[in-house]
Amino acid sequence: MVVKCPICQAEVIWEGNPNRPFCSERCRLIDLGAWTEGRYRIPGEEPKQESDRDNGEEEEPS
Amino acid sequence: MTPGKSPSQTDYKADKIKVLEGLEAVRKRPGMYVGDTGERGLHHLVYEVVDNSIDEALVGHCDQIEVTVHIDNSVTVVDNGRGIPVDLHPTEKKSAAEVVLTKLHAGGKFDKASYKVSGGLHGVGLSVVNALAESLEVEIKRDGKVYQQRYKRGIPQAPLKEVGRSKERGTRITFRPDPQVFETLEFSFDILSQRLRELAFLNKGVRITIEDERTQKKHEFVYKGGIVSFVEHLNRAKTPIHSRVVYLEGEREGIDIEIALQWNDGYTESVFSFANNINTIEGGTHLIGFKSALTRTVNSYAVASGQLKKDEENLQGEDVREGLTAVISVKVPEPQFEGQTKTRLGNSEVKGIVEALVNDKLGSYLAEHPADAKKIVMKGVEAARVREATRKAKDLARRKGALDSGSLPGKLADCQERDPALSELYIVEGDSAGGSAKQGRDRRNQAILPLKGKILNVEKARFDKMLSSQEIRLMISALGTGVKEDYDASKLRYHTIIIMTDADVDGSHIRTLLLTFFYRQMPDLVEKGHLFIAQPPLYKVKRGKQERYLKDENSLEDYLIEIGTENVRVRPTANGHGLAGQPLQTFIKKVLRWEKLMGMIARKRKSRSVIECLLMEEDFSEETLKDEAALKRFQSQIASYVNLISPEEAPISCGLEEDAEHGCFKLVCSTRSNGTGITTVINRDFLASPEFKELKRLFSEFTGLGYPPYSVENGEAEHKLRSLTGLLEYILEGGKKGQYIQRYKGLGEMNPEQLWETTMNPETRVLLQVRVEDAVEADRIFSTLMGDEVEPRREFIQEYALTVRNLDI
Repeated sequence: MVVKCPICQAEVIWEGNPNRPFCSERCRLIDLGAWTEGRYRIPGEEPKQESDRDNGEEEEPS
Repeated sequence: MTPGKSPSQTDYKADKIKVLEGLEAVRKRPGMYVGDTGERGLHHLVYEVVDNSIDEALVGHCDQIEVTVHIDNSVTVVDNGRGIPVDLHPTEKKSAAEVVLTKLHAGGKFDKASYKVSGGLHGVGLSVVNALAESLEVEIKRDGKVYQQRYKRGIPQAPLKEVGRSKERGTRITFRPDPQVFETLEFSFDILSQRLRELAFLNKGVRITIEDERTQKKHEFVYKGGIVSFVEHLNRAKTPIHSRVVYLEGEREGIDIEIALQWNDGYTESVFSFANNINTIEGGTHLIGFKSALTRTVNSYAVASGQLKKDEENLQGEDVREGLTAVISVKVPEPQFEGQTKTRLGNSEVKGIVEALVNDKLGSYLAEHPADAKKIVMKGVEAARVREATRKAKDLARRKGALDSGSLPGKLADCQERDPALSELYIVEGDSAGGSAKQGRDRRNQAILPLKGKILNVEKARFDKMLSSQEIRLMISALGTGVKEDYDASKLRYHTIIIMTDADVDGSHIRTLLLTFFYRQMPDLVEKGHLFIAQPPLYKVKRGKQERYLKDENSLEDYLIEIGTENVRVRPTANGHGLAGQPLQTFIKKVLRWEKLMGMIARKRKSRSVIECLLMEEDFSEETLKDEAALKRFQSQIASYVNLISPEEAPISCGLEEDAEHGCFKLVCSTRSNGTGITTVINRDFLASPEFKELKRLFSEFTGLGYPPYSVENGEAEHKLRSLTGLLEYILEGGKKGQYIQRYKGLGEMNPEQLWETTMNPETRVLLQVRVEDAVEADRIFSTLMGDEVEPRREFIQEYALTVRNLDI
């Protein structure tokens, strides 16, 4: 299986690769560091009560 | 070459050679002079002779050096310099050449007036080689004459003698290392080539050739670019991030400085420093000056250009030098070499001079080449980030030690079982769900780790989900395997790891984060099939005292159909037995499927009535699209059907258009839907589409029941229903009667007993095993969600939000 290194996007062979899915120890560490620094965030949805008001309105009272 | 700087040829005579005694000492302790008596010392002999020629090149009198290794491992070095002086030395009463070749510490280099700088090893050069050579022959061409002299182990066999005439000039030395001294006599072509290439780089324009008569191998080195070519050579297999090699040059207080540098996209630092052509492997003051000025200059540019904020930590030297290839070459009049191998430059004044040059010239370069400068700074900023991330990752790996046996995180409710193969770990999102899970679990073999996805209010209307570092730590220590090089699969404390999150978008985000983490940092767990996803129910239905949990929308529909068809018989009004029980359930499920497909068609802005009419025309096929007459008949059929069944879609217009690509026609029907016009195209592609094929198959099965209206008996009364849609609605309504249907928004809405019963009881629960492909997909989703491009991400989130409701990854 060939996957993309999550950090540098290089193509990586999965089988027999001790750093899978990364291309290198370095990229793996960068990733681990990002987890431990809390840098990985998934952008959440806008809260529901806000979204109705949000349509096309520049001003927001809150 | 700068010949103007050097003293003239006529000044280089015998009285310039000062004498220091003690050649015999060299034979006694050769290691002191050439390092050792092995391979290194052997090759050093050649370097000494070549360095003597290079010294002539340094002052601009020589641009050609030829090195030949003969079949008996003797070596000849020929240059086109001025030739060693041949006149009588005033105090020694010998030719100057003989003095140079026989007296230790004798050489023009000790007199600053003759040579500004010297590369020879402290002036011991030729005499040391002579002392350690079994035989040596020197031939000097100078002032139109040719002179020769032979030595054996440093002892002249006769005085220097004029042997002929020549218009050429230069020195030729042939020597054979003494087998009594050296353990090996075999010269390495590659080792010699490497050093000669280095010398050619360091002395731009000098042509150095090496020929190996033992193997006929030959190299020629000449680099007009000097150390710029050297850097290009070093970077030849790499990808530079800026195309120009930066070249800094200057002369201060008699010290010549040349620096060439270029960054590549790699991560290693390749900085080479030389002093008077000697590779200063141990560094020294020139290197220290370079490094400190480089760091300072790049930092101040980074701040000035705004790439580094004032409050951000400065780039460190190692950050700035990541991916840097550089050559520093200084020429110092009186070099001091220190260190174990005498390859560290000790002259303290050099540091400040190099620093001043780099500050000044590199600063200007960056200011004048902002595009290059930007890339260089970016590279450093990235390196700093990586350094910080690596530090934290190492920190994490180290802390794991403290969390080994006995001191598990307080939030973890561990199980009693000690055999990992029998133990399960539930990673539960949210404290309240974690609480329920702790109460509801089978504490004998089920452990609970509540995780709280952190919500960050990034902008006023954006709330990001993340796992805090604390949480990541908790998880790693609970699992027991460690991370990084410390990762040890055999220490895994639970062989079944179950991710349990809410069935909403936030829950799916936390799940995606967890899956991505496992995929990236513990792929082993996924490969071995240790990772699972819990499937908590989406619905609870209550009818009287009976409660049931249903995992998703489909299960709910099946359930409602099952209840709604109880005691019901459906038949066409005309005649027949009709359907009841299991066959009726199956039939209604097909109607539901049909409705869903029709719903999809409506969402694609096609008229449902037109499609229904098409389905009734059983023989309509791709062939029909070629039959203009049949199509025209069908056209009017559509119009009357739509007018009859759903007059609100009128006015309808239906036309034939040519489909040149497929050599047939297509039907284009315009109708109205909720006041706006829609166009339904019936063409080859549509007829071949899977949804149309499925609709056609379903439709043919429906005819088994006969055409509507239908008569429905439920034991108490009889109803007449005009359509299949009406029938479906009737059944579903019947199913909902007397039911209390609850949709779970989160795990927290279930009490401990319910959670156990629906999601944790091994007897009844359904677990989804995460395969590597699922994890790859989670990573892809994650990467897309994390991406920088806003628009594709927004679209993706919307699409993703729809699919996650089905609880599939």
